[in-house]
Amino acid sequence: MLVPFADPVVDWATIGKVVAAALVAGIGVTFAFSLAVLGATRSLERRRDRRGAEASMFAALGFFGAAVCVAAIVLSIIVMSSK
Amino acid sequence: MSSDIVFVIVVVTALAFDFTNGFHDTANVVATSISTRAIPPRIAVGFAALLNFAGAFISLKVAATIGSGIVHADAITPVIVFAGLIGAIGWNLITWYFGLPSSSSHALIGGLIGSVIAAVGFDDVIWSGLLGKVVVPALISPVLAFVTAAIGILIIYRIVGALRPGPVTGGFKLGQIASGGLLALAHGTNDAQKTMGVITLALIAHGDIAANNFHVPKWVVISAASAIALGTYTGGWRIIKTMGSRILKMDSAQGFSAQGAGAAVILAASHYGYPLSTTHVISGGVMGAGAAKRLSAVRWGVAGNIVVAWILTLPAAAAMGALTYGITRIFGTGAAGPLVVSIALLVCVVAAFLRRLQHGSALTAEA
Repeated sequence: MLVPFADPVVDWATIGKVVAAALVAGIGVTFAFSLAVLGATRSLERRRDRRGAEASMFAALGFFGAAVCVAAIVLSIIVMSSK
Repeated sequence: MSSDIVFVIVVVTALAFDFTNGFHDTANVVATSISTRAIPPRIAVGFAALLNFAGAFISLKVAATIGSGIVHADAITPVIVFAGLIGAIGWNLITWYFGLPSSSSHALIGGLIGSVIAAVGFDDVIWSGLLGKVVVPALISPVLAFVTAAIGILIIYRIVGALRPGPVTGGFKLGQIASGGLLALAHGTNDAQKTMGVITLALIAHGDIAANNFHVPKWVVISAASAIALGTYTGGWRIIKTMGSRILKMDSAQGFSAQGAGAAVILAASHYGYPLSTTHVISGGVMGAGAAKRLSAVRWGVAGNIVVAWILTLPAAAAMGALTYGITRIFGTGAAGPLVVSIALLVCVVAAFLRRLQHGSALTAEA
């Protein structure tokens, strides 16, 4: 009990997977959603300024961020539901 | 006949525990979305209840940990499971009454361990399972949620910091519908499975399932999912009334980051079968999102409450479980003991509620 790090009863490999999965999913989705907000906001601004090419690029960035978020959520539920 | 009566009492008690878990945790699940006005309160509560119900169906690994990874299932009797549940409920009631921090999940596991020790001794507790599946994850998970939310909010401010606040707030409010939904799903997944594990243990003790063939019957999944969803929905109306003054002030980006971090930690842990205190994880996420912006914005007292809950809940609930088993056995091995204890607990609950109504609520620091 005093030395759990040296104790094989604690499955540190699995706990490491939980830590890695939570960090990657939590931070990754936040990053992707921030890109989606950035892309959507900038796209609207550029469109108002009649800068069509830039507006399209930011719109693509926004769609990419949103698609990554949706894919991550769907994937996580599929992985959780699998035996 | 007598064992059938005890079994029915155990199932009803377990579902009541599940209901109170949902009732109590509604605030954790919906508070962030409501405080940032991302979702109207009524819709948030209904949405959370629905996703709590759905979440209970997506995994059974936490139920397997509770049912076969912490105590030896073949040594269990329905009375042991009953005493463990009453120990957990009793400890939750005491902490609620005196305003002490607690964790329903740790109380459930502690109560079960205490009743097993009182009934059959220390050898039938799987200490390695308790350490590796409960204690270590309990220490790591709030810190992990804190770090994930803190890094998340720093990334958000870095990416959208130069934009006009209006569209950013609107965007993250939209995002909070998804992150809040995921958090409710995660809560249903981890917490409802604890009740499923306990009911399945009772089924093993009752002889309906072989100890070496652990599986959770469909009716157990559906009833546990329904109880936690109903509890969430019922608890929501209380939350809506008292919401205004009790919530941390945070912006929608912080809410998104906190909810996303909490959901990620709970879902990842549930996938590997770790029963967590969802309240501790969500508190860790909220504090992380607050601390990254301004250290003084965080209610550090909540962190202190979590530490107290870590130290206190498992041993105290275990003592309650052991005491309940002892009291139950005074009335023999039949249904008389569980019946008397259940009635006594009901009387205590009603008396405590009436007394609280008369004297006002304690400064509850539930964690």
